[in-house]
Amino acid sequence: MNEWFADISYKFQIAFIEGDRYKLYLKGLGVTLEVAFFAAILGVIIGIITALMKLSTRKNGKRSILSYIAQVYIDVIRGTPSVLQLLIMWFIVMKDSKNGILIAVLTFGINSGAYVAEIMRAGILAVDHGQMEAGRSLGLSKGQTMRYIILPQAIKNVLPPIGNEFIVLLKETAIVGYVSLSDLTRTASQVSSRTFEAFMPLIGAAVIYFVIIKILSKLIELLERRLRKGDHR
Amino acid sequence: MITVKNLHKSFGKTEVLKGIDYHVEKGEKIVIIGPSGSGKSTFLRCLNLLEQPTSGEVWFDGQLITDPKTNINKVREHMGMVFQNFNLFNNLTIQENITLAPTKLGLMGKKEANETALKLLNRVNLTEKADAYPSQLSGGQRQRIAIVRSLAMNPKVMLFDEPTSALDPEMVGEVLDVMRELAEDGMTMVVVTHEMGFAREVGSRVLFVDEGIIMEENTPEEFFGNPRNPRLQDFLSKVL
Repeated sequence: MNEWFADISYKFQIAFIEGDRYKLYLKGLGVTLEVAFFAAILGVIIGIITALMKLSTRKNGKRSILSYIAQVYIDVIRGTPSVLQLLIMWFIVMKDSKNGILIAVLTFGINSGAYVAEIMRAGILAVDHGQMEAGRSLGLSKGQTMRYIILPQAIKNVLPPIGNEFIVLLKETAIVGYVSLSDLTRTASQVSSRTFEAFMPLIGAAVIYFVIIKILSKLIELLERRLRKGDHR
Repeated sequence: MITVKNLHKSFGKTEVLKGIDYHVEKGEKIVIIGPSGSGKSTFLRCLNLLEQPTSGEVWFDGQLITDPKTNINKVREHMGMVFQNFNLFNNLTIQENITLAPTKLGLMGKKEANETALKLLNRVNLTEKADAYPSQLSGGQRQRIAIVRSLAMNPKVMLFDEPTSALDPEMVGEVLDVMRELAEDGMTMVVVTHEMGFAREVGSRVLFVDEGIIMEENTPEEFFGNPRNPRLQDFLSKVL
């Protein structure tokens, strides 16, 4: 028993303490959070714009050109692996840039935007059509009604799936190691190959992800509860 | 005030309105009745272009509003509409429901809009609901709010699309009372309804719409007392 305990504590020592390695994990976590945070913001902005584009119609009620453009974007992003998108961004589109974080934020933001767009579109369609008609009957434009009436209700509707998307996004940033960014996952894997000890670094990183995501889901839950104060269902 | 010329409306292959001509004078209270599916709601919704007519003309205040060049948003500022399902803005408080359009359209400042809202709420005895959300109100209360929300825009005409059809019976009266007061104040009104009592009492003209045309049009006394069209006779015998 003592021996087992000593072994664990030794492994912990070399995985986190020796050479101040815990600082590496913190730095890696910082990269993960930075990329995920800004990509999430970018994704929501792109997602809302794309959803509105996809829902836009011409005067005769048929789909607009913008709607087809949005459709192509969504199809391309959803139809290709995100690792490939990251590599394409790194080696082709922005090959002259040295800013790995920026490239990662753009890649994940553009990627997430396609999924957020479909979530937002569902949220907008779920708002009763009468809300739009009431807004229009008062003289508000389509855009004004969208902004003041439909979108606030749509966003409230889609908070659960959007929370899901944020969580997926945060974990998906683990592939930035492909373009030599040292995020939490890559740090853990580097430490394990340097110390010839996989258990502690990998389980440690997993625990950190778990805790961060637990906190994130709690925050989303709080936000949801606050936005729901208007309805009594 | 409103003139409709040879109005047609089709949904796909189904022709719902088959040529309607009508003229509404200022101050008139036009009541439209007819069986469900007759096109009476579609007709009403064509008046403020919530439905785009397939062909025909709609004139409002000397302006051809079916002209694509007309800014329909500006026209709608002067045409209030009340819906069967109230359609209060669920994300806003009652007060915000009333002030949103006047403030966002630049017709009133915040302060003036709030004062107007309180005056209107007082008129329908719902002042204490100013900060409530629509989901906290009964159907009758919601419809009274929907009416004053339209009134906040100072409309020249009010369109009512079956305003009491979604209400529990005991709440119909409170909504009709508000509409009656509005009529007494001289508002021009076009009302689609199944409330025959209201039609008889408040209407200045009553229209029977069926199969996409106006089958009969008369004063309430003649319309109910001496219906000529056999379909109208049949309809009245079922509903009265």
